[in-house]
Amino acid sequence: MSMHDDNTHSTDDLAADYVMGLLEGTELAAAEARMSEDADFARAVSTWRERLADLDATAEALAPSPALWDRIADSTKVKPAIPLPGARAALRGATLWDNIGFWRGTGIGGVFAALMLVVILIGALATSRQLRRELIALAQRKPIYVAVLVNDATKETGAIVNTFSDGRVELIPLRPIDVPAGRTLQVWTLWDRDVGPKSIAVTSQSRTLQLDLEALPETVPDQLFEITLEPEGGSPIGQPTGPILFKGNAARAL
Amino acid sequence: MTGNGTITETQRDEAGLDYAREAQLSTALARCAAGDRAALQMIYDSEAPKMIGVARRILFRQDLAEEAVHDAYLRIWRAAASFDPHRGSARGWLYAVVRNRALSIHRNEHRYDASDDSALDIDCEATMTRMPETSALRKCLERIDRPRRDVVVLAYVHGMSHGELAGRLKVPLGTVKSWVRRSLFSLQECMG
Repeated sequence: MSMHDDNTHSTDDLAADYVMGLLEGTELAAAEARMSEDADFARAVSTWRERLADLDATAEALAPSPALWDRIADSTKVKPAIPLPGARAALRGATLWDNIGFWRGTGIGGVFAALMLVVILIGALATSRQLRRELIALAQRKPIYVAVLVNDATKETGAIVNTFSDGRVELIPLRPIDVPAGRTLQVWTLWDRDVGPKSIAVTSQSRTLQLDLEALPETVPDQLFEITLEPEGGSPIGQPTGPILFKGNAARAL
Repeated sequence: MTGNGTITETQRDEAGLDYAREAQLSTALARCAAGDRAALQMIYDSEAPKMIGVARRILFRQDLAEEAVHDAYLRIWRAAASFDPHRGSARGWLYAVVRNRALSIHRNEHRYDASDDSALDIDCEATMTRMPETSALRKCLERIDRPRRDVVVLAYVHGMSHGELAGRLKVPLGTVKSWVRRSLFSLQECMG
């Protein structure tokens, strides 16, 4: 037992919880990502799977409906190319989300830009009626509804959704979301439980999105927005299947 | 004191059969990775009924169980190349895919459809006795007192979350989490 340090212990606990199905949200997404990156973790997961496998064998064998295989055969007609692990890592490395230097620079640049804007706007206010009118127009562009999307487990705020009077809807991520290889982020909205959740965007990384709500009725109070992790290309069944990373309800902005 | 691990005899009569099945599944997965759809159908023909059973214990509804198995086969087809026979069994890998898909659907369904009384019929002891008496897992679970060992069965077999376990067993969330930890630790010690 002397070699049983804290680090291996927590890796093993996490592997056990993952195999048990006790992880949710970002923890689950992180564990799935770790499966392809961390050989020790993958080994611990395999060990737990083998330990608990006899419980799967206790399930009753129940005949599937004859149509099920036809549906599967239909859905698997095309074999998608699987990128090599090296290519996957290279792809991940290329995303700016992981680049702290970039974000520091952007942050400092953003502060300077905001200061410059304030100076310009104050000057413009004093001198130009034309600009004043434009400022009023800018104020009218504030969102009517705002939804703050939060992770249920960690209570972290992941993104906000703004809806405007002219029908525009935008999603602004507030933190990087780790998207494992072969998975994709999908944005959903639910305004009517009878209709069910509707997909409004599929994206491979967290970035500001102009959402497509044209096919849906106008945003209503408490309308649910959420981001789930789905197989590449989006949920195969048109309904969320993956873990919910962030969700929140729309509230009217004052 | 349940800590002393014992070497359990695993020489079952069906051991030979298990090996043959495992070899078949493992080969079929390799063929799937190479794009052979007949191999996918072979896995389906041999495992689908059991997989429906696994998914149904989590989802309770046949249509949802079939949805989970459908999604699982898409995943199996796409990710077959990531199965590594040196790391674990094909059976363990395949059933993990099915359980993961069923768990995802379970979590989403619960959010959009809160009515569900089907969980009341769950019988952990019946699940225990369905395992062969020679099963190391069964022997090791039997060493853990109820209701502590029930958390393992309820979470693994029926997909219950910490919150659902606390609700069903009527104990605080912290207690459930500590039961899970201690039961799993005890299983690990016992099974090696």
